[in-house]
Amino acid sequence: MSSVNPGTSESVAAQSRSPFIKIDARPSRLLPQLSDTWRQRELLYFLVWRDLKVRYRQTFLGIAWVVLQPILMTIVFTVFFSRLGHFQSDGVPYPLFAYAGLVPWTFIANSVSAGSGSLLANSSIITKVYFPRVLIPIATVGVRLVDLLVACIVLIGLMAFYGIGMHASLMLVPVFMIGATLLAVAVGSWLSVLNLRYRDVGTLLPVLIQLWMFASPIIYPASTVPEAWRLLYSFNPLAGIVDGFRAALFGLPVDWRGTLIALTVTIALLAYVISIFNRWQEQLIDHL
Amino acid sequence: MLPIIQVRDVSKQYRVTRSAMVAPTLREVFAAKIKSIVGENGHSAYNDELFWALRGITFDVRPGEIVGIIGRNGAGKSTLLKIISRIVKPTSGEVNIFGRVGSLLEIGTGFHPDLSGRENIFLNGAILGMSRQEMRRKFDDIVGFAEVETFLDTPVKYYSTGMYMRLAFAVAAHFEPEVLILDEVLAVGDAAFQQKCLAKMKQVSAQGRTIFFVSHDMMSVRQFCSRALLLEGGKLVADGDVIPVITSYLESIGLQ
Repeated sequence: MSSVNPGTSESVAAQSRSPFIKIDARPSRLLPQLSDTWRQRELLYFLVWRDLKVRYRQTFLGIAWVVLQPILMTIVFTVFFSRLGHFQSDGVPYPLFAYAGLVPWTFIANSVSAGSGSLLANSSIITKVYFPRVLIPIATVGVRLVDLLVACIVLIGLMAFYGIGMHASLMLVPVFMIGATLLAVAVGSWLSVLNLRYRDVGTLLPVLIQLWMFASPIIYPASTVPEAWRLLYSFNPLAGIVDGFRAALFGLPVDWRGTLIALTVTIALLAYVISIFNRWQEQLIDHL
Repeated sequence: MLPIIQVRDVSKQYRVTRSAMVAPTLREVFAAKIKSIVGENGHSAYNDELFWALRGITFDVRPGEIVGIIGRNGAGKSTLLKIISRIVKPTSGEVNIFGRVGSLLEIGTGFHPDLSGRENIFLNGAILGMSRQEMRRKFDDIVGFAEVETFLDTPVKYYSTGMYMRLAFAVAAHFEPEVLILDEVLAVGDAAFQQKCLAKMKQVSAQGRTIFFVSHDMMSVRQFCSRALLLEGGKLVADGDVIPVITSYLESIGLQ
């Protein structure tokens, strides 16, 4: 080389602190995977930002749709179940009760169904560049989390309308929101990679999501479940999360046993998904 | 100088299902299970064929080399790049890399047509592994190289093919990884753009960075690569100075 390039010394310095990457047939180990994911956490922000930007640019209703979905469902359930079926609602006005269940439910259902297709939908990126793939289903949940926060603004308005004031147990609300987010990440990521193996997961999913809704205290209170079935019922992590979310919101007594089981099941599920996600992804990407 | 990449006996086997590489459905899996329980011969769903996309590839690359990879379609060039880029796993063998790898296996990976040029620079940079701080620092250089200043806030779906390619190449080239992988990305550009990209690549390699460059254009391989690898049927059949490797490639396809 004829001229000394000013970049040379810099790049040599860069090389000495640059990462060592070993690529072989064995499944990648978990710890380097997690540190890779942490290092590229900014990509999570950009993926969420991309989806929000595109969605609010393309959809005419934009942000209104996020609120309309649970509101319309609330109206339907109020008319059909509360008026006709005389559902109990723990002493809370039924529309408020239903909306407070449908907001976290809409978050979970949308996260799971969008998350399940997320790796397939992004296959053109996944097959062309390396980055921690788990960021894709997590970003999908991130987008719905923004929706959840918007829907919560309406929830606050609705609570004011029904005259429910401030009280101490509101401080527990974030605990249940974090629980719901972890659950959405676990189930969404798991299904996204399962969907690479079995392409009809997407076909089966709407039915399963519907069943999950009726197996959870969304439009009815958990207190209507017979005591003999309560323990089994609470192994559905969504039951404890939605029930606890609503109890915290309305200042009702929190079912601590149910909450504890729900959070334990959620964290166990998340740990399982983290442990298998990358191994499955590495095996299945050949099919994309 | 120590190698920046060591490729050791790398092989890749693909499983091609009879139904053209489509993943089985749950329904098929259950059907096959039931058939095997009932006693019917249930082998039909798994009539896989195996084929080796790469076999026993070994070579080292030193920092600053521009390595041209040539060979016919299906020779394994893209598979090799995908393994070095960490997109797919090898079936056996290993690759050791001492540094960051940036791959541009396709022009505009991760570009979103509805987002503006400015937004896509940040999105694409993040996908390649740049930090936001790094992108802000290089933003003006990227825009200048791509010559898209006046269209920065226009959605890229309204860009001409040339503008689109310039922007995509600019982001990848300014990422400054220790190893830059380019797959046929110059094939679509006009002569002026190709020259500009090749000059940028020279500059990148002069900084001690390594470039892998797949191309069917023997002119640009001859002009810019310091070394060439010839793949044939998944095997590395020639490795060395550019001119003899190109000659044996052209002979193998009966052009010389």
